[in-house]
Amino acid sequence: MLAQIDPATLKVSKKISQPGILLSVAQLNDSNQVFVGSSDGMVYSLDAMADKPEPLAMEGHQSYVTGLVQSGELLVSGSFDGKLIWWNSQTREQIRTVDAHHKWIRQLAINQDGTMLASVSDDMVCRLWNLADGSLIKELKGHAEKTPHHFPSMLYACAFSADGSLLATADRVGLTIVWEVETGKELARLESPIMYTWDPKQRIHSIGGIRSVAFSADRSLLAVGGTGKINNIDHLEALSRIEIFDWEKGERTHEFNGDTYKGLVEQLIFHPEDQWLLAAGGDHNGFIKFYDLAEKKVIKQDKAPMHVHDLVVNEAFDTIFAAGHGQLVVWQMDAAKSD
Amino acid sequence: MADDQQLKTGVGIQQPIDRRHFLGSGAGLAGGIAGCLQLLSHPLLADELKQQEKRVILLWLAGGASQLETFDPKPRRPTGGPFQAIPTSTAGVYISELMPKMAQRMENTAIIRSLNTGIGDHGGGSILMHLGRRDEPNLKYPDMGSVLAHELGQADSSVPDFVTFYTATEGRGNAVGRPGFLGARYAPMFLTTNNKPDDLARIAELAEVDHRQRADLRQLLSDRFTRGRETERVLESHNVAYRRVRGLMASDTLFDVEDEPQKMHSLYGPTLFAQQCMIARRLAEAGTPFVKVSRAWWDSHGQNFETHLEMVTELDHVMSTLLEDLRQRGMLESTLVITLSEFGRTPTINGSLGRDHFARAWSASLSGCGINGGSVYGKTDEDGQHVAEGEIGAAEMIATIYQALGIDPQKEYHVGARPVPLTDPGTEAVTEVLA
Repeated sequence: MLAQIDPATLKVSKKISQPGILLSVAQLNDSNQVFVGSSDGMVYSLDAMADKPEPLAMEGHQSYVTGLVQSGELLVSGSFDGKLIWWNSQTREQIRTVDAHHKWIRQLAINQDGTMLASVSDDMVCRLWNLADGSLIKELKGHAEKTPHHFPSMLYACAFSADGSLLATADRVGLTIVWEVETGKELARLESPIMYTWDPKQRIHSIGGIRSVAFSADRSLLAVGGTGKINNIDHLEALSRIEIFDWEKGERTHEFNGDTYKGLVEQLIFHPEDQWLLAAGGDHNGFIKFYDLAEKKVIKQDKAPMHVHDLVVNEAFDTIFAAGHGQLVVWQMDAAKSD
Repeated sequence: MADDQQLKTGVGIQQPIDRRHFLGSGAGLAGGIAGCLQLLSHPLLADELKQQEKRVILLWLAGGASQLETFDPKPRRPTGGPFQAIPTSTAGVYISELMPKMAQRMENTAIIRSLNTGIGDHGGGSILMHLGRRDEPNLKYPDMGSVLAHELGQADSSVPDFVTFYTATEGRGNAVGRPGFLGARYAPMFLTTNNKPDDLARIAELAEVDHRQRADLRQLLSDRFTRGRETERVLESHNVAYRRVRGLMASDTLFDVEDEPQKMHSLYGPTLFAQQCMIARRLAEAGTPFVKVSRAWWDSHGQNFETHLEMVTELDHVMSTLLEDLRQRGMLESTLVITLSEFGRTPTINGSLGRDHFARAWSASLSGCGINGGSVYGKTDEDGQHVAEGEIGAAEMIATIYQALGIDPQKEYHVGARPVPLTDPGTEAVTEVLA
């Protein structure tokens, strides 16, 4: 059982400026060594808690590095160039490159035992890979390639359940599909239409989409994050939005619309004992929030130093490494005081 | 006001060569509008214009399309964004990977990458890029649509000579056609909520046969009245105007894309922009000299890459289809297709993954009529922050459009006694992109 952590004690412990846009982050075996994926096509390895972190560049991609996952000695990166690159996380050497998708890779996820990797792409296919050898296990196809308004759709997010039996994928128009990993069978379709804004009158294009998904630890709930409806789609000035479903019943159990800090919810992580749900993202600025699902309220929210694109939490769940616009930020929390 | 001045003096819009025709015809200056109409119906001039049969379709990318995601990509630069550059059918010319279809047919298209237009607000930038210059306190200039309607249109045309589509509401007020001192005759037919003009339809209660018979009767009475009054120019101008209205009413069907075969619908695609470009081609084919299809709204302060993924994909498909359609109909050599915005977008990517307004170094394209296809004029620096070579402004851009159509950018109109060139004195076209 994890020690009780008090989100109310959240504080920034480190801010590391890095040129470019940091879009993904992974932690090396619960250490302070992290990898960040950048808009310059590099993966950088650095000690996030060093006095003067010295990022080491790992060159391989040709475009934004949008996904990073780590397990044991393996690190896998995914990029808008459609490639997955396997790296030795210790030596930072490339192991293999796979032409995984013919459009942008938006996000990666691995199951908890580190055997399977999922990648989602704007080709609207989710592919499951053998993490050990890079072989393709399965393709999951169910998201439409075009929006209802005849524009290219985008498949933004994916997440495994903690037991690895389920995978959720979510797209631009607000559709989430829950898949049975073993069979590749669709188990549920959940709609979040508010997260997709089509403006038919003022600007005649769209914005939004589900950018993050996460299963609760007991896999009964599925959270999806994005924004609410946006009036002026020139900007991201919308209420951040989280919907939580009892996915087996197809019922929406929670709706959170953030009005203090606005923008996209780019990342969602349930506490491993479902004590709270962590969300982060932003518009021009960034935010981090903690929700108590039982009480249906915000426990803690704070302005982030930048729009947060990705984050990872250590095993003790007291340290958060967040990648964003020009910065890597480390937050820390204290243990809850016993009464 | 110049318009008032024109009305008071009764002096119409004239050019030197036209004035010779005009005076030679024996009509007096006091003929005013009627005189102008007669001028344009002069057989020699009409033939000249008819021979030209030049048309313009302006794809107005309202809100400011990004040059970095279209015609001036900067891959692997901090400002470049995530899209790659792809080779085109012209060796050495690369454009954004969002435009694979245009990349395959660059032989008809020239790119200008060195616009520095200085106005970074939507309203001011739109006016500048339509006029090619700033207004004067006492003179309202016509925009290029009105000028080209005047230059390329014919007085007795049975089709409208300046049509503008602007369906989105955002920015619409910035892009209203302005005939300026040319007067209302050269104002656009401005279509907003519908792709079809509301006011052209014959009223339902009036059968077509009745409508035609009324016109015949009106003509008969008119002919009787003018017998022995051959010098009555005003009456003739009424007849011309009436025939024009009848013609415009008959052109109603041009806006009805349901007449197009299914194959054309499949080629252009289902979006509103595609439908309007199909109508633009129909209008051009029927003789409308200037059609502006406004695709709004590109103002991607947030999520620039998602917005451009949607909108450039559409632009690439529709524009390449339009060019191919024109080529197959033998119209591309006589039709100039332009992409233009009020400005471009900042190379610097903001915290919302957006790009903001940027008038300092941006791009436009010219395809078809009078264009040296495959040419690229101007260059920006490696991050797209500044023009490195061949800087031009709005005036040169508009002058290049005029010259591509065979119109001298320094050609003069007269507002009262004042000669007014089409573009500011000394403005030169970018001849490097002209055939």
